[in-house]
Amino acid sequence: MKFLKNIFAFFIPLLAMLITFSIYLLIDNVVDSYKQKISSDYSIVIITNTPLIKDNINELAGIRVDKIQTLQKDKIINNIKSNLSRTSIDLLKRKLPHFYQIYLDSFPTSTQLAKIKDTLLQNKNIRKVEVFSKDHNQVYLLLVLLNSISFILFFIITIFAIIIIAKQIKLWFHEHNTKIAILRLHGASILYSASSVLNYAIISSLFAFIFASAFLYYISNNITVLFPVELYDIINVHIDINFALVKIFVLSFCISIFTIIGVLLRYKIQND
Amino acid sequence: MIQAKNIYLSYDDNKYIIKKGNFSIRPKEFIFIGGNSGSGKSTLLKSFYGEIPLKHGSLKIDNQEVFGIRGKKLRVLRKDIGIIFQDYKLVNEFTIEENIMIPLKINGYSNEVSKDQANKLLKHVKLSHRAGYYPNELSGGEQQRVAVARALAHNPKIIIADEPTGNLDDYSAEVVWNLLKGANEQLGITIVVVTHRVPKNLGIKFRQLSLEDGIIYEVS
Repeated sequence: MKFLKNIFAFFIPLLAMLITFSIYLLIDNVVDSYKQKISSDYSIVIITNTPLIKDNINELAGIRVDKIQTLQKDKIINNIKSNLSRTSIDLLKRKLPHFYQIYLDSFPTSTQLAKIKDTLLQNKNIRKVEVFSKDHNQVYLLLVLLNSISFILFFIITIFAIIIIAKQIKLWFHEHNTKIAILRLHGASILYSASSVLNYAIISSLFAFIFASAFLYYISNNITVLFPVELYDIINVHIDINFALVKIFVLSFCISIFTIIGVLLRYKIQND
Repeated sequence: MIQAKNIYLSYDDNKYIIKKGNFSIRPKEFIFIGGNSGSGKSTLLKSFYGEIPLKHGSLKIDNQEVFGIRGKKLRVLRKDIGIIFQDYKLVNEFTIEENIMIPLKINGYSNEVSKDQANKLLKHVKLSHRAGYYPNELSGGEQQRVAVARALAHNPKIIIADEPTGNLDDYSAEVVWNLLKGANEQLGITIVVVTHRVPKNLGIKFRQLSLEDGIIYEVS
């Protein structure tokens, strides 16, 4: 009971941080799934005077250009070739500009599409830019906003969690001060002397990881607890639970270990 | 074993507690450091294990310079010393057996070896029947016997004792003196004891240093 009481003040802020991180991971996953679903709902077609080199256009409106596909002229020529002589067809082939379709790494908002159009038109080699898109703007922007809010929340909770965890470690140091001092007088290293404090921190981190994992596992199987049922009609939410658990584990132990190292260093500087 | 040349000790720069300290202690010697309360006996002792840093001079313990010692070197020095305190300084969360195991575990001995050695020492200090007890369940005399056993556990070259019988009744004090005498005679451990009351009839050859106004004297 005393042990549980001891680790409580460390466990709760760490768990709060990990749960916020789990929620952020879920929302990020939903946004990614939605992005994938709508990724083909736009089209950017450009017409250039000379052949286009992909390396010259790597990024548009802050979005990485995934690929530039050449549109074959043959289709256009096929549609009109019955009315033209062979010489005219050859001439047309030579005179026709080059057509390309640009694929971006992620779905652009309408503002980004407008910016992309302006950017492309500044290129003197580009004669014309045509942009077509379905309007996903509102839903997409709301999801991105939700994602950002969950990340900011996670960030703020992490800072507060680190402050509370550091205070708790200092409190443990104070409680074990006599023991640490006696062990140090016998030649023990600071890590050895503070092993009981380290044990508390590791066990707390382990508990926090188990609880946060259980939460993520439950939520990922019951996504409607966080999101409306209709979400399934729009997107297929699939979470790589193993990878998410690894992230939570790493975060849980990294935060604990780095905070302990910070407090230990401070203690060492003050006492050596 | 211990050589001090012109050592100065102070807690702040304004007043030196020890001035121009010069003395040497040979291996296997039994030394008493005496003096009035506040004369700096404990401060001098603390400088032996690096608790109080030297301001000036040179202090060598088993050829290891203590001046400016820190970090790993300090830890190694402390591993070679057994320390006994007036207030015992036992870890209350540990049983007395675990307390005796402290220097052994720090020196890298396995749990089994440490436990064996702790039990031998508990037998030696006649506390085998209390191995699983915690320090606050023992009397002051018993706690100091545990402290002596802990100081002997890793077979140190030197034992430093700060008023080891200061809080004890005559019977317990005699037991502690006999344990220290045995460590010196049978194991050849150098013993340095700070006390303002040198025991009568110790039955062993010893040397005495005295502190007065920050100056260390040899008592003939």
